[in-house]
Amino acid sequence: MLKKLQLKKHAMTAISYMLPLVVAAGLLIAIGNLTGGKVITDFKGGYTLPSALTTLGVWGMGLLAPVISAAIAYSIADRPGIAPGLPSGIISYNIGAGFLGGMLGGFITGWVVLALVKYIKVPKWAEGLKPMMIIPLLSSLIMGILMFFIVGQPIVWLTNGLTSFLNGMQGSARFVFGMILGGMAAFDFGGPVNKVASLFADGLLLQGVQEPEAVKILASMVPPFGVTISWVLSKIFHHKIYSKEEEDNIKVAFPMGIVMITEGVIPIAAVDLIRLVVSCSFGAAIGGGLSMMWGIKSPVPSGGLFIVPAMNRPLLFLVALLIGSVITGLILFAWKKEPVEDDGLEKDMEAEEEDIDIGDINIT
Amino acid sequence: MKIVGVAACTSGIAHTYIAREKVMKAAQKLGYEIHMETQGTIGTENELTPEQIKEADFVLLVVDIKIGGKDRFKGKKVVEVPTNTAIKAPTKLIEAVVTKLHATA
Repeated sequence: MLKKLQLKKHAMTAISYMLPLVVAAGLLIAIGNLTGGKVITDFKGGYTLPSALTTLGVWGMGLLAPVISAAIAYSIADRPGIAPGLPSGIISYNIGAGFLGGMLGGFITGWVVLALVKYIKVPKWAEGLKPMMIIPLLSSLIMGILMFFIVGQPIVWLTNGLTSFLNGMQGSARFVFGMILGGMAAFDFGGPVNKVASLFADGLLLQGVQEPEAVKILASMVPPFGVTISWVLSKIFHHKIYSKEEEDNIKVAFPMGIVMITEGVIPIAAVDLIRLVVSCSFGAAIGGGLSMMWGIKSPVPSGGLFIVPAMNRPLLFLVALLIGSVITGLILFAWKKEPVEDDGLEKDMEAEEEDIDIGDINIT
Repeated sequence: MKIVGVAACTSGIAHTYIAREKVMKAAQKLGYEIHMETQGTIGTENELTPEQIKEADFVLLVVDIKIGGKDRFKGKKVVEVPTNTAIKAPTKLIEAVVTKLHATA
């Protein structure tokens, strides 16, 4: 039953549509803030370019909940989901239910639209009215009432509770939270677990909680930097742990790491999954814990080393990042075995493949 | 055996293309003809042509998210798996689908 609902797929679709917006909005805020911009409140008084950029970024962030909501509803109910999905999200944003409200609103909107499309039967002459008027009006009306009066409020409490809980954490609790978030963000090198951590951090940014975002940025950079450090160590101490091919991959993964793209590590992790996952998650967890404990905040969700100046404590962030990366690098250096040099890609593919659950495959 | 497919992952910048690569290599190794479209964050690339779809014995969707243009595959046999499955075990995946197809045919 739960599998049939495909909750994960719909959420992933939303994240997929949301990511470019978050990145653009976040960077706009960073550029604006760094050049002295402020959010514009009075448009009649004239404004500067930095302020315009900051404002645009903040507005872009404000679109986050509507985009999430519309994308989830679209994923569930196809095109008819978009129109009622956007207002569901804007309600969530304006009543302060944030991204959690946007997600929940998106799911409910999608299901409501599906039900309406299925159960509303109209005579032939009204068939054009159904997609153009009946479904959009009814779904928006139902969702409006639900979001304003029923679903929204508990989410506002939840969001506020979560926000004040995170803000109120002290010392070791902060460290543990940072560890969990950091470990999650590094765990699958940009895969679904990382995206969950990422969504959580981005959502909190919307509530003005900026520490998790710093953890996320740090954890996304630890794997490529850690791997690079282990490679440098292997060169210094003449203890070979990477094949020629892997070395080439590392040379690509490092610059990708600078701009916070973890995925460059995947080719290296793919052939030695356990060691890479353990070492990277561990390094990122420690780095994340430190970042959280030191209260490092990032107003920007993405951009890698380039947005470090926008953080409240850039130097401490670099220290935490370095510690995490060095830990990952040392673990890898000590743990990784000497590579079996192979001549190219033409290895027996089947031999390395993992077992998959074939019973899960359905042909429709 | 002719296969068409679509690959799409959440961030649409890495897994999508790795999955396409893996699946295509595996299929070609097994001696099948395959065309894979990608729907990444940059948009659709290597778009499938109507002829390719028409001639295909089945459609292999390697996707983590909702993809566009699913109505093109109406009436076709469609298999949907997460990108992870295709990246981990592309050959086994294709073999399993082909076996199942023969069993139901």
